[in-house]
This record gives sequence, structure tokens and C-alpha cells, in this order.
Amino acid sequence: MKKVSMYTLSTCPWCRKTKKFFTEHNIPFDFIDYDLADEATQKRIMQELDANGANGFPFVRIDEEVIVGYNPGRYAKLMGIGGAA
Amino acid sequence: MNVESRKKALRYFFDKVVGPLGYKFTPDGDLMDFLLEQEVMLERKHGIPFCPCQPLSHDRLRDMKIVCPCIPFHRKHFDAIRRCWCGLFVHKDVTNPDSLPQIPLSEVGLE
Amino acid sequence: MPRKDWIYVIDDAKMPEGGMVPVYPLGINILMARVNGKVYALEGRCAHMGCPLFNGMLEGTVLTCPCHDWRFNIQTGEFLDASELRLKVYQTRTEDGKLFVCLGQTEGL
Repeated sequence: MKKVSMYTLSTCPWCRKTKKFFTEHNIPFDFIDYDLADEATQKRIMQELDANGANGFPFVRIDEEVIVGYNPGRYAKLMGIGGAA
Repeated sequence: MNVESRKKALRYFFDKVVGPLGYKFTPDGDLMDFLLEQEVMLERKHGIPFCPCQPLSHDRLRDMKIVCPCIPFHRKHFDAIRRCWCGLFVHKDVTNPDSLPQIPLSEVGLE
Repeated sequence: MPRKDWIYVIDDAKMPEGGMVPVYPLGINILMARVNGKVYALEGRCAHMGCPLFNGMLEGTVLTCPCHDWRFNIQTGEFLDASELRLKVYQTRTEDGKLFVCLGQTEGL
């Protein structure tokens, strides 16, 4: 199965929807809530966001593919799931 | 001030700002309520109602561009996707906010 | 004939060059500023969240709100990042060393 990881904010409803999507499809994922992370982690994530031209959260990585913003259609396509939410 | 009162106050302030810019609060009442509540909590934590869906960099110049309503600082991007990033505001003619995907600036073809 | 309502707000000598002073004629919050000798009067609260502007920073004719750095042109009241938003600007005049602002017009007899 493809590896899924994401950077999210605990305050962001779209980040919650993103986590819900993967949870409901029984896809395991790693995540870091940026706002709850320590300063060094935040700095590293910010650099990664900037490097990928990401202006906000959620920031999802499926293998090497990056998806910025809540996009269930793309998650489904990349995970090979039919009937995107 | 309790959370509900502050939410009302933010609505009052923001409504006056976004109207002339061609935006309105999302018609999705639950989403609006959730986002305003997050902003009240962010304001309690930082003293400023930052966007609940964009990262704080701790660089003042940059962070002041994500204080709600942040539409003036991301105008081209948000005009293109007809909503702000967190979805608290949508273009005035939008009736179905669910139809508006969250497209990042790097993918809207403005750069 | 419409008649302008001028109201005394402060002595001209109390307005320093490059400085800002809040005044409250009839309870209205107005910010007075002097740049290059000329006096400007504008709404004293930010168009964003109503923060008092007299604590802000004045650089030339650009006023930056102390709360969230919203910037305004004090000549026009215009918000620099979205011209649809602006602060109300009041006319000013000096007479016998006293500064007056025009709060509006009333219909004369």
C-alpha cells in the first residue's frame, strides 16, 4: 500500500475531513498537527510547505505525490479507490 | 468575553470588511460556526484571530497576511477559487459552497 | 443652502510635524495627523477590527494600524491592500491658530 503522511492543523476543518477520509477507507497514515508541534518541527514543516508552494493545510503526501488542500477525488485516485467522496 | 459573544463580535467586524470586497459568510452554518470558534480560540492564544487553516510562521510581516479576513492579501487566489482558503467566506453569488474545491495558489495558474 | 458644520478640535500649535493626535468632537473618534505641514483628519478606528489608530505608525502619508498592520493613505483614507475599504476623511481648516474639522453638512435656512 502507498505510504500516506500529512501535515495538518488542529484548528482546520478540512484537515479533519482529510483524516476522516483516510480513516474511513481504512488507510493508515502518519500526521503532524503543525500548531501543536515544537518550534524546530514547525520550522522544518514550513520549509517543506514553502518548497512545495503550499499556502495552507492540509498538506498530504501519498508516496512522492503532494496534495495541498482537501481533495478527496485526488486522494481516491492516487489510492486506487473507486467512488471518491 | 465568552466565546459566543466574541464570535458575534468577529462576525460584526468581518461582515463590514468582506462585503465591499465582494464576499459573504459561507452559507454553510456549521462550517461558519466551527471556523469562528477556532478563530476565537486562536485570538485567545495569540491575541489575533488568525486563519485556522494557514500556518503561523512567527514572522510578523508574513503572519499579518493570514489575519482574518485575509482576503485583501490573497485577492487573486481567492477570486479565482471563489472562496477564501478556510472557506469562512465565499463570493457573494455562491450558493453551494461544497461545489468549491480548495485549490492551492500553485495550481490556479496565476503564477 | 447647505452649511458646513465646522467644529474646533485642537490648537494648531499642538499638532507636531509627523505626529498624530486623537480628538473626539461630539464624541466622534477622529485622528489628526500633520505631514509636511499639512493637517489631515480621518476616522480614528481601523476599518478591520476597530483598533484605535493613534498608536499606529506614520511613515510619510502611510498610516499602519498597531493591531494587525493594515495600512492606510491618510490623504484619501484608502486601505492600501484593497481600495474598496477606506477610512472616512474629514476636511480641515485653520483659523486664528485653531484647527477645525468639518463633520458634515446641514441644510441652512
